[in-house]
Amino acid sequence: MKTTNTFLTRVICVIAWFMLVSSSVWAQSNTPLSDAEVASVAVVANQIDIDYAAIAKEKSTNKAILHFAETMASDHKAVIDQAVALAKKLNVTPKDNAVSQKLHSDADKTKAALSAKSGKAFDKAYIDNEVAYHKAVINAVETLLIPDASNAELKQLLQNVLPTLKAHLAHAEKVQKEFK
Amino acid sequence: MISANHLYLLCLLYALNSCSPSTERSQPLADTGEESTSLKIDTIEIIQMEFRPAVLNVQKGDTVVFVNKDIVAHDATEISNKSWTSGTMPVGAIWKFVPTADVDYYCSIHEVMKGKIIVK
Repeated sequence: MKTTNTFLTRVICVIAWFMLVSSSVWAQSNTPLSDAEVASVAVVANQIDIDYAAIAKEKSTNKAILHFAETMASDHKAVIDQAVALAKKLNVTPKDNAVSQKLHSDADKTKAALSAKSGKAFDKAYIDNEVAYHKAVINAVETLLIPDASNAELKQLLQNVLPTLKAHLAHAEKVQKEFK
Repeated sequence: MISANHLYLLCLLYALNSCSPSTERSQPLADTGEESTSLKIDTIEIIQMEFRPAVLNVQKGDTVVFVNKDIVAHDATEISNKSWTSGTMPVGAIWKFVPTADVDYYCSIHEVMKGKIIVK
């Protein structure tokens, strides 16, 4: 009975966290984002996961966590490089907006929460956050960024990024199973 | 008149000279024709976080070429013993090898990416 309650509590917490992330952060804008704003959100969202990876590389000793963090750092940097190169080519300067600002402020809270943990508790919190974060980002790319992007090349880059994000999610979920 | 004959001879020599190499080239090709058709180059594209095709059938001796057409770096590594690996392949990189037996491989950077080569 106790096990069932604990499990249900965890499920409810995860769902609540996911709903919080996916609704409050990404649903900031009622009007469509401009390409400059889409580019900004894309860069910020990738940079946040690089920052999480940096914390993991500093705090964790778990091989699977460190490997995942290393992959996140290099892959998201590659995506940022391409987004920046495309913005430059299109003569678009990424523009700060309500979504990217909320992403920053929420990420600051998450980074503080992660930094306060250590050992196995940190590893679990990090990989749980990676699963939730990638779900939220995939949802945002599919339902917000791709529909709002008006330039065909920007739209294509976002579409090209989706398989990478989905593979990251599958990888994170695989690692997450070690901590249940 | 002399210069016209010279011109004619020069044209004739040029024509003969330009014909002869193709005749000489055709002979070795005919000799090794059987060998060149039996060995193939098979390509596996790495794109959108997948090896395509995921299962590749090759003949023994064929060369398999991996081409990274994705937006991030990948590798191709034998799964069970890591007996071979391409090493990290940046975007646009190409790596080739000749498989000697059936093999399951994966991307050690993105562990969910898997492929198989069947050697007949």
